[in-house]
Formats: sequence, structure tokens, C-alpha cells
Amino acid sequence: MSDSLQQRIQEAIANPKNVGELTGADAVGTVGSPDCGDMLRMWIKFKDQDGRRVIDRATFQTFGCETAIAVASVATELISGKTAEEALNLSGADLSAPLGALPPMKIHCAQLVEGALRSALAPEQAIPSPAPATAGAPTLFDQLGLGVEKHVKVVLHTKPS
Amino acid sequence: MRELLEISPGAQRSLFRRYHIGGCASCGFRPEETLAQVCARNENLQVAEVIDYLLTAQEEDRQIQISPAELAEALRDGAARIVDVRTREEFEAARIEGSILLTQDVMNEVLAQWDRSGLIVFADHKGARSMDAAAFFAGHGFAGARALRGGIDAWSQEVDSSIPRYDLE
Repeated sequence: MSDSLQQRIQEAIANPKNVGELTGADAVGTVGSPDCGDMLRMWIKFKDQDGRRVIDRATFQTFGCETAIAVASVATELISGKTAEEALNLSGADLSAPLGALPPMKIHCAQLVEGALRSALAPEQAIPSPAPATAGAPTLFDQLGLGVEKHVKVVLHTKPS
Repeated sequence: MRELLEISPGAQRSLFRRYHIGGCASCGFRPEETLAQVCARNENLQVAEVIDYLLTAQEEDRQIQISPAELAEALRDGAARIVDVRTREEFEAARIEGSILLTQDVMNEVLAQWDRSGLIVFADHKGARSMDAAAFFAGHGFAGARALRGGIDAWSQEVDSSIPRYDLE
């Protein structure tokens, strides 16, 4: 990844915009599953402006990958003021454009954001989630144990007297 | 891929460090896929090149580990931060002084604010899961991400016996 792209991603996640649930949202879209630790959810609220119904505000919540956080942050700002149709015309590359071109291995992060947007605005056009890893091949993120609260019983060893 | 991971458990960590494959569900793979299929849908990676790289996986795993004694020395110099990837129950029962428990908020803080060249040591019970955690952060550009070899159990035996050893039920 180029240093300048890494720097823009760093700037975006250091101060991410529009994070958290949006009360009174008109539309909600989700891709992935919080159970498997890889999820992005987007809330969208509309307003009437000059006779058009445009996006007033969009917010998001996600677990995991920093690139997905950075893309969601810039994308929620990008779609503000657009109609649903205009927002739906944006590709993953359009939504991540403020960060610069993503390397091929990171493009799925932008597709995750595009998927959440489509899930919210046009569920029938939603992009199928990428092939998920299964229990037979857990991801590295799964091993971090985030998103799933696990409870265990700890039995301390007794020290010899 | 199932067979590959059975032969070489460290292969998933290596795939993510080098190729950003297998880190999360979006870039994950199914056990029944072949390595060639995974390579094909990841920008047509050359299978032979990937296999050559995976043969170095064991050595890469060794390089990502830090021994309890090395960590103790780094802590004395104030040159290390410890992130604990165990459950909250384990963390509350026994932990290395100064370590912090990994939560989503901590993860966001690490990704956003921590020095990517600094030494960050991931610790678990016996040194297995922490390898995946270190590889995950290494794949995100944290050059100093390391896993505590043997986990807090080894730390208790080799550095600080006041930290209780334990089992899980």
C-alpha cells in the first residue's frame, strides 16, 4: 500500500465521521454478520430539499478492518445531499475515491460499504456477501474474539506448600 | 485449504501477512476451496510463487514470536506495550502488569493511534491465539507486532511466578 494512501486511511480512522446508530433512520442496511466478526451496518435519514428527497445524514458501525472503517467514513460524507438513485449509482471505487485508489487486496473493503449502502437503499439489488469463512477455517479476526462475548471458568493452580 | 492448514497451521497467518487473504470474512476462504481457486480470485496470484512463500511459514512464525525473557527486558526499557487477547475472566484472574485487554474500542485505538513501528506484544494463555492476533496486526502494517511465546503461562514460569497459572473449565 502506498504511504500516501496509508496516511489518508490513518487520518480517516483517527477521526472517523458518522460513527454509530442514527436515531430515526429511514433505512438500515447490513452486510456480513456480527457473529462472525465481520459486519458493516449503515443507517440513512432523508430530508426534503428543493423538491427532492435527499440523504440528510448517513452513519455506520463496523467491526474490524481499518480500510472498511476509513471507506465508510468518507462514503457517508460523500452521499450526503444525494438522492437514493444518485447514491446507488456510486460504485465501491466511487465511494472510496476520497482515499485514493485502493490496492486490489483491499477492494473488498470498499465493496463491503457498497453492499451496506445497497442493502439499505435497494435491498433487492444488494450485493451478495463474499464467500464467508466457515468454522472449518476460522479467520484471523475470529481469533481476536471481538464481537462475540465468551465466558470461561478459570481454575487457578494451587501452589505447593 | 483444509488440508493445507492441517499440514501447515501457520499458512493462514502467512497468507494474510503477504497477500491480505484470510484475515476476515470478506477476504476469507472456504475449507473446500483449493489454493489455486483462492489464488485465482485474488488477482490471479501465481500458485507456485504462493507455495514457495508458504514453505517459509514456519520461519515467519518463529520471527513473530518474542520470548518471555525478551519481553521482560523490553518492558524494563519501556519499549513494549502488551495487548491481552484472552477472555475478561482470564484477564481478571491473572495478567501481566501494564497489559490491556483487547476490546473493540482498544482495537480502534490501536489501529488509529498507536505507533506502527513500536513493539506491541500480544499475549494469550499458552501462545496459540496470540500468533493469529500478531499476524492480523502485522498484516495491517504493524511491523513490531509480536506474540508472547508460551503465553502468560510461560511468563509465570520463566519471569514472574507471582502470576498464577491456571486451567480453563
